[in-house]
Amino acid sequence: MKTNLLKLYLNEFRKRKKKTSLITFAIAWGTLSLLLMMAFGRGLSNQFRIGFQGLGEDLIMFSGGLTSKAYQGLPKGRRIRFYVSDIDLLRRLVPEIKRISPESYVNVEVRYKDRETNRLLRGLHASYSPMRTTFAQMGGRFINPDDVKFSRRVVFLGWHLSEELFKGENPIDKEIFINRMPFKVIGVMKKKLQNSNYQGLDYDHVYIPLSTMALVNSQKFIDRIHIQPGERKYAGYVENRVKEILGEKYRFDKDDEYALDTFNTIEAGNIAGNVFTGIELFLGIIGGLTLLIAAVGVTNLMYAVVKERTREIGVKMAMGAKRRHIVWQFLLEALLIFVKGTFWGALIAFNIVGLVRSIPMSYEMTGMQSYLLRPEFSTDILITFVVVMGILVFFSGIFPALRASKMNPVDALRYE
Amino acid sequence: MIIDFRNIKKVYRTGSVSFEALKGVFLNIENGEFVSIMGPSGSGKSTLMNIIGCLDTPTGGSYYLEGRDVSGLTFDQLSEVRNQKVGFVFQGFNLLPYATAYENVELPMLYNGKRSSERKDRVAELLNMVGLYEWRSHRPTELSGGQQQRVAIARALAMDPPILLADEPTGNLDSQSGSEILKLFTSLWEGGRTILMVTHDTNIAAYSQRTIHILDGKVDLH
Repeated sequence: MKTNLLKLYLNEFRKRKKKTSLITFAIAWGTLSLLLMMAFGRGLSNQFRIGFQGLGEDLIMFSGGLTSKAYQGLPKGRRIRFYVSDIDLLRRLVPEIKRISPESYVNVEVRYKDRETNRLLRGLHASYSPMRTTFAQMGGRFINPDDVKFSRRVVFLGWHLSEELFKGENPIDKEIFINRMPFKVIGVMKKKLQNSNYQGLDYDHVYIPLSTMALVNSQKFIDRIHIQPGERKYAGYVENRVKEILGEKYRFDKDDEYALDTFNTIEAGNIAGNVFTGIELFLGIIGGLTLLIAAVGVTNLMYAVVKERTREIGVKMAMGAKRRHIVWQFLLEALLIFVKGTFWGALIAFNIVGLVRSIPMSYEMTGMQSYLLRPEFSTDILITFVVVMGILVFFSGIFPALRASKMNPVDALRYE
Repeated sequence: MIIDFRNIKKVYRTGSVSFEALKGVFLNIENGEFVSIMGPSGSGKSTLMNIIGCLDTPTGGSYYLEGRDVSGLTFDQLSEVRNQKVGFVFQGFNLLPYATAYENVELPMLYNGKRSSERKDRVAELLNMVGLYEWRSHRPTELSGGQQQRVAIARALAMDPPILLADEPTGNLDSQSGSEILKLFTSLWEGGRTILMVTHDTNIAAYSQRTIHILDGKVDLH
């Protein structure tokens, strides 16, 4: 029965003159706004997350600072420094650590043939690679444990620096000079998006085994310790244990926030993630409000439609239509008015997103474009959209529909 | 008695002003009667027809339709009564302009949930009876006044209601079409249907068995 009444209503809708083109445009515009806001908001969020992971995934970084409290008879203002032996110590005492790598850096002269430049040199261990999302392009490799064990003179280059030094040439197995000492190039960094950094962006640096660094740098202590916990939930615990162990060894209060500089990417990522969720929500609401205005237009139109069809409503009531039949009819009409506009709005939105996504990403930029070029329509966005549309359609249509159903048949039949 | 009015009153209130359209009407219509209702403007004849047809409810008194008290029913319950017990024929035809003749006749059956096959047979039967089967796919704008009214009558009979209510059914028609319609009514009455017709023309009233006169909200039972 319902399907046949549906057919009747559809027929009537199709055959009537449609003064709805302006409304359809408004709905298309609103749909487009909402969808684009959601897709670009999500893209922004995603890209930020990816960019943030460009620094490292689930990483806790420690560097030495100055004590701010007197401790165990020692004065405040002491400089805390780490040494390579701390790496094995921590690995032994904290089994929840999955990966750990030291890092030291110093500025050096880098030369290939006649091209010379100054860059930051980083000395580290093999586990640095996965922790700091620094991977080798095909045809090359990152530093491995043997390189470290044998203090080999091998070097891994940031991709931006590599392009500058080698122009079009393949850098692998070529010899470059670091502070006048020959090193063999074993790999070049794979391009990645990075928005967070210390000492400059990774793509411009030179990487060698920490043990080899003694050739270039007489510094005995290490600048940083990178730790990756086995599971994210251990991050807080691991951070604490490291502070405890190092505090005991170097005699500083583990709760002294200035003695040890800590950067916990998991925590920072969460906070930033919340900001971006907030931004997504905000953008979505703006898009939603645009669509809402169009929906109000539909309600307005529907009130006029109901008024125009007063007599017909009276006739239908005389023929036996119950109140719900009348409500259904006008709810359906509201839906049909939305359908055309929503279809076009969605079609255009999908095409715009597809077009923007096809623009190649430039990894050199940390500017706005790397965040705006990857809008995304994930499943949850589409579901949210459908739900929001459903609610809007219902509320646009229900008030005029209820008014129609509450008409007095006698008055309706008398309406001119 | 198919229609039994017991002291039916209808008062219209707009703000502080109230108007008594029906002032205590007693009315008995037997099954199978063909009755005309006549009265001047403002006499309450439209109000009377509206209440008989369950388009409106009385403010006082009781209305027994086929022995059932319908005066206190809800809107949806009255819709059912309108759907099954009463067929309306209006002066202005009141066909749905964007539906075909077939779809117009089918309408009451749609609200009753009748299956497609049932509806198909019944519509064909009715359109044949009024001689318009070949015009079933035409829209009202493509039909003459007389044809439209015949479609309207077919529609009124869709659910085979015992009562047919006609409000000035020939008012918008020329005399030839008008008499065709009245002849149709006569044959329907001869077939056993109860017909109530509002008219101001005594010539038209002559087609019926008896006439009820109404004046100032009171019925003068002949």
